[in-house]
Amino acid sequence: MATPARSSAADRLRPAPGDALVVLLVLCAALALLWLLRPAPAGELTVEVRLDGTLIGSYPLEEADAPVYVDVNAPWPLTLELDGRRVRISHSDCPSQDCVHTGWIDEAGEQIICLPNKLIISLVGEQDTQSKDFDVIVG
Amino acid sequence: MSSRAIPTFFLLSALLLSSCALPGGETSAAEPAQRQFFAMNTLMTLQITGEEAEDALSAAVEEVNRLDRLFSRSQSESDIARLNAHAGDGTDVPLSPETTELLSLALEETSATAGAFDVTVAPVIDAWGFGTGDAGQYRLPSEGELEALLPLVDSAALHVDTAGNTARLDRSGMEVDLGGIAKGYTADRLVELLGEYDVSSALLNLGSSTITLVGNNPSGQPWRVALKDPQDEEQQILLLSLSDQALSTSGAYEQHFEENGVTYHHILDPRTGYPAQTGILSVTVVSDNGARADALSTALFVAGPEQALELWRADNSFECVLCLEDGRILITQGLEDQFLYNEEDSHGYTCEIVRR
Repeated sequence: MATPARSSAADRLRPAPGDALVVLLVLCAALALLWLLRPAPAGELTVEVRLDGTLIGSYPLEEADAPVYVDVNAPWPLTLELDGRRVRISHSDCPSQDCVHTGWIDEAGEQIICLPNKLIISLVGEQDTQSKDFDVIVG
Repeated sequence: MSSRAIPTFFLLSALLLSSCALPGGETSAAEPAQRQFFAMNTLMTLQITGEEAEDALSAAVEEVNRLDRLFSRSQSESDIARLNAHAGDGTDVPLSPETTELLSLALEETSATAGAFDVTVAPVIDAWGFGTGDAGQYRLPSEGELEALLPLVDSAALHVDTAGNTARLDRSGMEVDLGGIAKGYTADRLVELLGEYDVSSALLNLGSSTITLVGNNPSGQPWRVALKDPQDEEQQILLLSLSDQALSTSGAYEQHFEENGVTYHHILDPRTGYPAQTGILSVTVVSDNGARADALSTALFVAGPEQALELWRADNSFECVLCLEDGRILITQGLEDQFLYNEEDSHGYTCEIVRR
């Protein structure tokens, strides 16, 4: 019996095994890309302490059973309280106390400023830039 | 796989990859250079984008520190400290051209605002303990004490010679404090300085209440500026969308204290010596000119809503947002197409456009 003539790919209507493989490979590539480009999980946060521009301390924020207290030797000494994934200035000898009143910060990019000490506490880590709907706050 | 399927696979993959990779690449190319530093009694944050951003940033920080050394009242060798030290002794004190220019701009604002802005208010600021940043120093001065100090608050007794670069204070005990205008002026100088560099955009945040925007933001859109709710610093009341503009905000919430159930804030009326009580919670001024925006934010707060709007109607050089105690936010017409206000997230405020 003679083998039926095979139609060319252009004329074929039904998918061939080769096409299924292409679809599979594209799907795999897409899934791989989705996985590679997935939103970063809430990453590590680090507390950075800068005194008049100089980095004087860096502390990773980690889940812990009890708060960790860090004394900072600034012109007006102050104490940092690291509690799990957040930090605040729990005590300061500075005259304005604005830094204590700022309270807790827990997101990358947030800062506590102690003006009399020229001190900045920054939370450093992966920032969720999508959630911010402004560039700057005035006031 | 058929001979046609292989190129199809690569083409599709390449498309997928390129569409995903582009935004990331663009972001890193437009990454701004940023620096934070303390100057003029505040924390400043400069953010600059462009080919020469780093060089421009270093030059800008240096310029801010240089001007701070001229304008500071507390540094004994500064122009202003020397001017104050010679108050009443008849000396025409030699000053830098920047200082005489700024003093002369301050005098113009005093005259334009009928004395609602006055840089000679320093003795009264000191009597209240404001300006030190030390909440422990805040105090309620007696009526007699303020009455004795008010004759020292008088811009007519400040003489500035911009040609000879000298200035003189007529009466002993007079003092100038440029805190209400120096940051805005500094921002203007920085914009001029950035013009010498290949810079596409900049956010000059000279202490959160004085901000100047150069160009658009790094993504090429107008800068989105959120206005702080004067009654809750964690919240914002509206968004302004701006390019190449200076902004300045004055709010009663910045420095204040309470005595016998009365709250006293730091924005003092130079004509009475007392905190201005005009029904305004905060004023934001938007202008091409940073010094003007800075001086006017204080002046409009002191003048009150009616006079503030009169000033606005008589002058095309600025727009403003007045946040009032009665819950209204008044936005002048020129900002009509540049603000975004979400009624559902309004924190009890209602918005009104004021027309000329």
